Amino acid sequence: MMWLSGGFIFRKGYSFYHRLDPRAKLLNSALMFVTTLLARSIFEMVLVVAFMVGLSAAATVLKRVARTMAFTALFSGFIFVVNVLFTRDLETSVLYATRFVAIVVSTSIFFITTSPDELEQVMKMFRLPRDVVFAFVTAVRFIPVMMLDTIQIMDAQKSRGLELEKGNLVRRVRNMIPILIPLVVNSVVRSGELAEAMEARAYGAAPKPTSLLEYRARRVDIGVACASVVLFALAAYSFYFVIPVQFP
Amino acid sequence: MGDILKIEGLNFRYPESPRNAVSDFELSIPEGEIAVLAGPSGCGKSTLLRTVNGLIPHMYGGEYSGDVIVAGSSVKGSSMRDLAQTVGFLFQNPENQIFMFTVERDVAFGLENLGVPREEMRSRVDEALRLLRIGDLAQRAPHELSDGQKQRVALAGVLAMRPKLVILDEPTSLLDPKTASELVTLVARLREELGTTFVVVEHRLDLLVGVADRLVVMDGGRKVLEGSPRDVLFGDDAEAHGVAIPAVTRVQKALTESKGGRAVAGGLLTPSELASAVEGRRR
Ligand SMILES: Nc1ncnc2c1ncn2[C@@H]1O[C@H](COP(=O)(O)OP(=O)(O)O)[C@@H](O)[C@H]1O
Ligand SMILES: [Mg+2]
Repeated sequence: MMWLSGGFIFRKGYSFYHRLDPRAKLLNSALMFVTTLLARSIFEMVLVVAFMVGLSAAATVLKRVARTMAFTALFSGFIFVVNVLFTRDLETSVLYATRFVAIVVSTSIFFITTSPDELEQVMKMFRLPRDVVFAFVTAVRFIPVMMLDTIQIMDAQKSRGLELEKGNLVRRVRNMIPILIPLVVNSVVRSGELAEAMEARAYGAAPKPTSLLEYRARRVDIGVACASVVLFALAAYSFYFVIPVQFP
Repeated sequence: MGDILKIEGLNFRYPESPRNAVSDFELSIPEGEIAVLAGPSGCGKSTLLRTVNGLIPHMYGGEYSGDVIVAGSSVKGSSMRDLAQTVGFLFQNPENQIFMFTVERDVAFGLENLGVPREEMRSRVDEALRLLRIGDLAQRAPHELSDGQKQRVALAGVLAMRPKLVILDEPTSLLDPKTASELVTLVARLREELGTTFVVVEHRLDLLVGVADRLVVMDGGRKVLEGSPRDVLFGDDAEAHGVAIPAVTRVQKALTESKGGRAVAGGLLTPSELASAVEGRRR
């Protein structure tokens, strides 16, 4: 699970793509997303996927994107089977199955290369309420802490004789209870302490909080944004007017 | 210099609690002091600290009477916004007071909340990082830090707000002995450099007696002893209230008892004092 979900979690990187303004990355991923919806044939879809693979390689995240693809393969296989059963059209089914993979990849490129700090910035840009943004920030911030908590609790309970890997499904689910309860208690205590610490650091004091980080679009960012718009327009144009439609 | 903190006839009872967590409390701390607050668990130390930075009564309900005056203003009548700028609070678990993804963002957290302009924020963050000597950690994520480093980051976030009074609730309880004594040295240095007043809740008195000006002992919500660490620790009541007497002091007490008061010159608290006393006798 950890291995697979790694395809969506940010890790520090220093490629040109990592360093782009988060807004440029968001725009690019959004346009790639829409392009996958516009592709009407397998050939077009292959073009889109090839582009995203190239981009991932340039952003030094190809390995992790490949992992995302492997992860989605299972679902896309399912989509393929269902489609074959209902439409009895192999080409459409392949198209839908690859489209699913492509959609996931387009979003995953954004999440893999955008730091939580930048995500926060993007959320603020969409004028989400401060509390919502802050809830997101703390949730992401405490993911590693909670994972460590879970491991420690599991070890503690195992050393007291809890056997997690034994028994049938019902038994195994029931075995999770001694893990979940301390975890929930921990989180309740934690959120109480967090609330106090937030007050002590003046959370909510100013109607307009400021930010240490400044995101100012540089030339590169604007250049990349323009390039993705142009590419998108080109792709959309050629999908509809240049490349002949092959399926019914 | 006046008193930075004055507690007058304070009583506080948590909602639905049968008895007061703090009773008839009186305390004055002059500006620039390091005061240590000790006492058994559950005696009301954390509660008292909450009344100083305003969490009580602003965040907690309950029965409150008396007054707490910080830097001349009553806590009751001040907003959390103003209090956050005069009183810094370092909580026991540094993990739960680090909010952001990078150290420098977290140090800036309080300033962002106050709406401090970016340029000023930048210089105050850098200053706090420099004071705590953690400039090299600025871009680290919280989960990449050791406990001692987390403690420093949390303290930097508190100091960036330039409080006059900093309260620390059992700051060394999660630290190993070496990191704990480094924290104490740090507190002493900050007091020298910034003139900040510190109130520290601490069980390990041997760490703090060397730098503390005042020792306050609480029991059952009341103040039971107060004075210089020397007076309190050499008094007869300290042990009865469960205060952990530093080893050096115990050694001296034992020597004094066995040799009829001639053993070593009075009032030793730290190993270095003991060492020089012993050296002096040899010569
Ligand atoms: N949030 C709370 N609600 C109700 N009672 C509390 C709360 N926090 C502490 N108490 C009670 O108040 C008393 C003093 O607790 P506390 O101030 O945490 O002591 P200390 O910090 O000295 O260990 C204890 O009896 C404790 O059970
Ligand atoms: Mg406490």
